[in-house]
Amino acid sequence: MPLEKTLAAVLSDKSRFGQIFIQRTGSGGFVLCHHDDANSRGLEIFKKPEDALRIARSDDAGKYRPLKTAPNLRRGWRLEVVDLGELRRALDCFYPGRLAMLAAWTDNRLSTTPLRETLDRQSGMYRIAAKISDQQIDDVVGNFCKSGGGCLRTILWKRDTHGAIPSTSLPPKKFDPGHDQTGRGQNAIPLLCQEPCNLLVVECRKVVKGEIDE
Amino acid sequence: MNGRQESALLIVGHGSTVNPGSSAPTLSHATEIRRRNIFADVQCAFWKEEPSLRDAIFLFDPGTIKNVYVVPNFISEGYFTQTVIPRELELNGRITKRANGQTWNYGEPVGNHPLMTELLVQRAREIAPDVPENQTSLLIVAHGTDLNENSAVAAKREAQRIRRLGRYANVLNVYMEEFPLVSDWRVLTNTPNVVVVPFFISDGLHSYEDIPVMLGIIDGGSTSSAEAKCEEVFRRGPYKIDDRSLFYASSIGTDARVADIIVEQAAAGETNGSRN
Repeated sequence: MPLEKTLAAVLSDKSRFGQIFIQRTGSGGFVLCHHDDANSRGLEIFKKPEDALRIARSDDAGKYRPLKTAPNLRRGWRLEVVDLGELRRALDCFYPGRLAMLAAWTDNRLSTTPLRETLDRQSGMYRIAAKISDQQIDDVVGNFCKSGGGCLRTILWKRDTHGAIPSTSLPPKKFDPGHDQTGRGQNAIPLLCQEPCNLLVVECRKVVKGEIDE
Repeated sequence: MNGRQESALLIVGHGSTVNPGSSAPTLSHATEIRRRNIFADVQCAFWKEEPSLRDAIFLFDPGTIKNVYVVPNFISEGYFTQTVIPRELELNGRITKRANGQTWNYGEPVGNHPLMTELLVQRAREIAPDVPENQTSLLIVAHGTDLNENSAVAAKREAQRIRRLGRYANVLNVYMEEFPLVSDWRVLTNTPNVVVVPFFISDGLHSYEDIPVMLGIIDGGSTSSAEAKCEEVFRRGPYKIDDRSLFYASSIGTDARVADIIVEQAAAGETNGSRN
């Protein structure tokens, strides 16, 4: 079970994953909560790993969260899981796919895809997104992917095959897996982003079609 | 199927950036299949949600997983199953051998499986258990005229198969955007009972609002939440309209037995060469 192994290894010196605080229990289990709730009382208790799906579905205002790595995980819950396997499943629900990307990255088998390649691959209604200019990419990535209010992932991909950084308005630490994207300066497990997501492709399309300001 | 310890299942869904109900059945089927312990790992990937189809390439460690069975949780073959999914997952046919040593088997969409016919009949029976079938019309509703999807053809095929069973007075395939229209159910049927089953993968705007409005069982323009609308429209039946009883089911893809179909499609993906 390599993912559990990867998880066990990173948990030896890290207890934060995105906005989640992970604590060990004496019986080999784990307790998870929102990192701002580490000292809160009266949290709603959940006991099944899949309960994380419901917790992660909406933000504090009850609004659906289409991007699970957006920094808007709701507060007020405490999830208790019995072992490492359940912890993996819970974290997979909170941040789908991110543990697997971490494992692949650790094993040196995670390849990255530049934004331009992702855009050029699109078909149908998204084909037009490839017409976006470099300047427009700089602006839209800088806004959509920023850790403060956008997305907590660490960007590993480039703008194009020449290795241009995706946005000059993002700080260098946005591309550093050793940096805590929540801004708390903790020793955190990174949420790695190896390729621009579909939501960013949608944003690029909107820019090209003039539906949003860059 | 190849050794369980080395095999993983990847269920691919469309997902949505606005409707959490879109991915819910896919996630639920994955949980159920995971519980059965048939595969060493069971994961989902989505076009519009996370993990993405591109993430899926890295979901399974090639050191332990040698075979990946990909099953599209889609109602029919079409643009997504034939273009988007193969492109994003870098599949080059029914069987793809990757440089990392993995073999990826690409199965057919769940809607293509023969069990789907049985499921539709069972769902119709469950939603209207006490009505005589020979006094009942069964309507299978699909979208119709939707991009390159062949959901209309699939619904027609299912209606034909159910009609051949000779149980219902009438079995019709009807559509939201092409003829015969679901909104014409009053003239298309003349039985005292009408059972309507949406031929969709999940409950969304179409099943909890658009079709009910077309059927005349709810008014449009409600400001209730999606979840509230969903609960309300499927709970309130049967609907009495013009001295007739109309029974309205939730989308067929929400049925727990779709998990059986996904497992079957994974197994078929290994032996059926029809997709190349």
